[in-house]
Amino acid sequence: MSGRITPYALFLGCTTPTQVIQYELSSRWVCEQLGIELVDINDFVCCGINQINLSREAGLLLAAMNLAQAERKGLDILTLCAACTGALAEAIEQLKDQATRTRVNRKLQAIGLEYTGGIRVKHISRVLYEDVGLDSIEQKVQRDLSKLQVAPHYGCHYLMPESAFDGFDDPDNPKTLHQLISATGACPVQYETLNLCCGGKSFPISRELAFSLIQTKLDNLTHKKIDTLVVQCQTCYLMYEDQQKVINRHYRKDYSVPVLLFPQLLGLALGGDPKKDLGLHLNGIALHNLLFKAGLHARL
Amino acid sequence: MSQNNKSKEPIHISNLDVKFRLEVTSHQEASALNACFSCGTCTAGCPISEFFPEYSPKKLAKMVKLGMRQSVLRNPFIWYCTTCRSCDQHCPQNVKFFNILNVLKNMAVKEGYAPSPWVEQTRQIMKTGLVVPQDEHLAEKRADFSLPALKNDGIQAKKLLELTGIDKIIKAGNER
Repeated sequence: MSGRITPYALFLGCTTPTQVIQYELSSRWVCEQLGIELVDINDFVCCGINQINLSREAGLLLAAMNLAQAERKGLDILTLCAACTGALAEAIEQLKDQATRTRVNRKLQAIGLEYTGGIRVKHISRVLYEDVGLDSIEQKVQRDLSKLQVAPHYGCHYLMPESAFDGFDDPDNPKTLHQLISATGACPVQYETLNLCCGGKSFPISRELAFSLIQTKLDNLTHKKIDTLVVQCQTCYLMYEDQQKVINRHYRKDYSVPVLLFPQLLGLALGGDPKKDLGLHLNGIALHNLLFKAGLHARL
Repeated sequence: MSQNNKSKEPIHISNLDVKFRLEVTSHQEASALNACFSCGTCTAGCPISEFFPEYSPKKLAKMVKLGMRQSVLRNPFIWYCTTCRSCDQHCPQNVKFFNILNVLKNMAVKEGYAPSPWVEQTRQIMKTGLVVPQDEHLAEKRADFSLPALKNDGIQAKKLLELTGIDKIIKAGNER
C-alpha cells in the first residue's frame, strides 16, 4: 500500500492497559515504525461484551458510547483485543437498524453523545494487513526470524460474527495471521487445534472448563515442537501464558510453550529493543531459545 | 460422551410453561429459534459441549421449545458459553443460538440469577470505566514504560448504565 495511512483512535480495552502492558507497548511501537498514527481517547470505556450477559441493552450502550466518542473525533477505531473488535463491530451492525439507533441515541443523549454511523472498527492485525500491507512489512524487516516455527492463534472474536467483518478472512479457514507471520520472516505452522477457543470468557465462571480448552491446545503445540504461539488478543494471551503456569502448578504438568503477542514478533523483525520497545521481559514463559534463534543473545 | 441420567426422567406436561417459547422468541434476535430443526450442528462444533456434555445448545433450544422454563433459567450451564460463536457460524438454519442464549441469560438475571463475576465487572465499570481495578502500582508501571496515564472516572459509563436498570441488579446483589 502506498500513501499516508489514516489515523486511528486507539481502543485499549480493559485488560491490556492494566494486565498485559507489553501488548500496548509493542503495538504502539510497531505502529510508530510503520506510520500508523494512534490517537488516545481518555473517554473510552469497556466495550460492553461481558455486560451482554446481564443486559443486552447495557452491552450495546457501552459499545455505542465508544463508537460515538470516536465518531466525535472523526476517527476510525483500532483495537488490540479480539473480543472488543467483535463487540464493537457487531454493535456497528446492530446500530444500522434505524429503530435501534434511535433508541440508543435517546440514551446517549443523557451524556451528550450521538452515534450516526459511518465509522469503522479494525483490529491492529487487520490494519497491518490492509493499511500497511504485507509487502511493506517485508521490506522493513531488519532481523532474520526464518529459524522460528510459529503457531498462530486468531481469537474467535477477531473474525466472528462473520457478518460484522465484511468478508475479511474466513473464520473457518483463516489465513491473514499466517501471512502476517510469513511477512516477518518467521514460518507459520499449521496445527489441528488452530481454531480452538482459549476459553477466556468462560474462565470467570469455570476455571476447570477453561483449563480443559487450554490444555488441549498446549498438548497439540507441545507435540508440534513449535518455538512460540502467537496470539493477537490479551485475553488469549492471559489464558495460554498466565494460566499455563497455573496449570503446571495445579496439575503438576510441565508445559513450556512460549506465547508472544503478534506486535512483539513483528517488533522483533523490525529491529525493536526486546525490553524497551516490546516488553518481552514481561512475558512469563522463557523466551531465550526463541531469542537465540532470532540472533539475539541479550538476557531479558 | 457421558449421558445425563436426569434426561431419562419423563417430562411432565403439567410442569411445562407453554408461554416460555413465545416469551423468548418475542425478542427479535431470538425469533429464529422457530427455524431450528434440531440437527445438532451447534453442539457438534461447540468446544464447551466437548468437555461438558451437560452443556448442549441443541438440548437447550429444545427445552425452550418445550417450555421447560425453570430447568433452563436455573441451569448453571447456560453461563458456561465461551462466546466463540461457532454455533452461529455453522448453523444451517441461521438460528443464532448465541443470541438466544443471551436472551435466556438476561431473563435468568431478572429472576435473580446473576453470576457474581459479571456483577463485579459491571460495578467496576461504574467506578473506572474498565472492568479491571487500577492501583498506584499500575500507574507507576505505566509511567516507567512512558505509557499515558489512564484517566477515566467512569462517571459517563455509570450514568449510561443506570438508564438500563442494570444498577438495580447490582444493588440487589442477586447472586447465585
